[in-house]
Amino acid sequence: MTFRWSRITPQIALLPAVGITLVAFLGSIGWTVLMSFTRSRRLPEYKIDMENPFRQYNRLFADVGWNISISNLVVLALGSAMAIVLGFVLAALIERERRGEDFFRTVFLYPLAVSLIVTGVAWRWIFNPQYGIENALHALGWESASFNWLSDPQTAMYSIIIASIWQSSGFYMALMLAGLKGINTEIWSAARIDGVSLWRVYLEIIIPMMRFTFLTCAILLSLGVIKAFDIILAMTNGGPGQSTWVPAYFTINAMSAKGNLGFASAAASMMLLITLAVFLPLVALTAWQQRQARKGAH
Amino acid sequence: MTVDAPPVMFPRKPKRITGKSIAVLTLLTMSALFFCIPLYVLVVTSFKDMDQIRDGAMFAMPTTWSLEAWRFAWFEACSGLSCDGLQAGFWNSVVILAPSLVASITLSMITGYALALWEVRWSGPFLFLLFLCAFVPFQIIMYPLIRLTVQMGIYGSITAIAFVHTVLAMPVLTLIFRNYYKDIPPELIKAAIMDSGSFWRIFVEIILPMSGNILIVVLIMQITSIWNDYLIGVTFGGLGTSPMTVHLANMVTVSTGTVSYNVNMAAALLTAIPPLVIYFVLGKFFVQGIAAGAIKG
Repeated sequence: MTFRWSRITPQIALLPAVGITLVAFLGSIGWTVLMSFTRSRRLPEYKIDMENPFRQYNRLFADVGWNISISNLVVLALGSAMAIVLGFVLAALIERERRGEDFFRTVFLYPLAVSLIVTGVAWRWIFNPQYGIENALHALGWESASFNWLSDPQTAMYSIIIASIWQSSGFYMALMLAGLKGINTEIWSAARIDGVSLWRVYLEIIIPMMRFTFLTCAILLSLGVIKAFDIILAMTNGGPGQSTWVPAYFTINAMSAKGNLGFASAAASMMLLITLAVFLPLVALTAWQQRQARKGAH
Repeated sequence: MTVDAPPVMFPRKPKRITGKSIAVLTLLTMSALFFCIPLYVLVVTSFKDMDQIRDGAMFAMPTTWSLEAWRFAWFEACSGLSCDGLQAGFWNSVVILAPSLVASITLSMITGYALALWEVRWSGPFLFLLFLCAFVPFQIIMYPLIRLTVQMGIYGSITAIAFVHTVLAMPVLTLIFRNYYKDIPPELIKAAIMDSGSFWRIFVEIILPMSGNILIVVLIMQITSIWNDYLIGVTFGGLGTSPMTVHLANMVTVSTGTVSYNVNMAAALLTAIPPLVIYFVLGKFFVQGIAAGAIKG
């Protein structure tokens, strides 16, 4: 609802937010994208490299570290998707039983309140090759247990995946729980009367009904994966070698450690592109869904 | 992006314990145990001495409970070149928190209020722009923001960290406040305008008193995210202004000599305690914050 009382005051009140949006967001994005087409090194150069405007991008795509980062991004996204599955299972169990709902929700969600640096420290300790879980399991008699994942480039990424599943499952559980509670209880009774098994109710009725909750979770997951930085810093600091680099880590590293502005800007622009590739389908789908809902209402 | 009203609970019939619910509860309890492992390991390790840690029984309780690691982490542990313990970082985080909270919440509240209840012709496109900005990766605006804060003469100070927190939180918080305020019955505002209420008077006298609920939700959301932030603190903070997470990361990633795992674990717990206390005391609002922060399809 809007009102015509004064036109000026609200617009003045909006000035700071508009300023921030134009300067700190749009302006900054434009500046970084511009930088990615220049030959800037430590200091910005504003002249677009006319001979070869895509020089930084060509260097980027040829960079070993960047290619590792991209494949790790995919691995991390696929692995962390387990958190959505786990979140759904936990939410379904809680919703079925209802006893102890508050207690279980509190336990599953607490990792989200903790800094990712702390999460990284905790899991790095669990995967400690000398004194960690491997050692503890050996002492318990499981001699062949091998959890020395962090020092092996092949497996280091898996330990990060486990830590991020632990960290984020509760979040998806909370979203799924909200979705499950929105489902009409009559469906259950109807299915019961028809003698449909519980599995089939979930697989054929509940999950399709919750497709938008799943979609939301998937998109939030991808956006979170692109941003992943803290946990990698705290668990492996990118190592061993470059084996756990991701784009967010690569970009910061190119900017602060290498001090190469044009190159880092190209990497940051690629991050924005990846985000858009995830995000635009969401906007389209949301718009489509709203149109469907409006059609349904008429 | 809406904040759910607390769900209406229908009184349900007390269920009898069946074999099925025992199975479900067992599964849930086992998952709960898995979720508690990292916290448990952190706690027991922080109370052990290094001799017992070297024995390798990670899950064993401390033979003697010792607070030494905690004391050392708080007062003496080295982070980078300074060896004043985590306390310096703790107080930095506290000092960062206050202005960041006030600035980010005030700005977003006023912006959300103006967009929700006042006629602004370009509010539609602006909201869409904010929606897009909420998902921009930090890396693409990081370097320009560094230059901006350098030009403002605040780079490396608490002010710079608070400024960047305010900038980055603005889009999401504005959308949350706007969605909350747009459900205010129009009659109320109409009456207020008849009563010659101005933009600011309506805000202070009507809107502010109505905002209690959403304010707590946003406050908790912001406290945890500012306290747990690492990247902004390390990028925009200086030697004496970096938050606790940066001190912690320096302590655990820079290894000089033998690593005191018990001190590291105590330091991690010290960093985690403030948001955990908030979470366990005000968990209900925390869950609402998650719902509000997440886009709903």
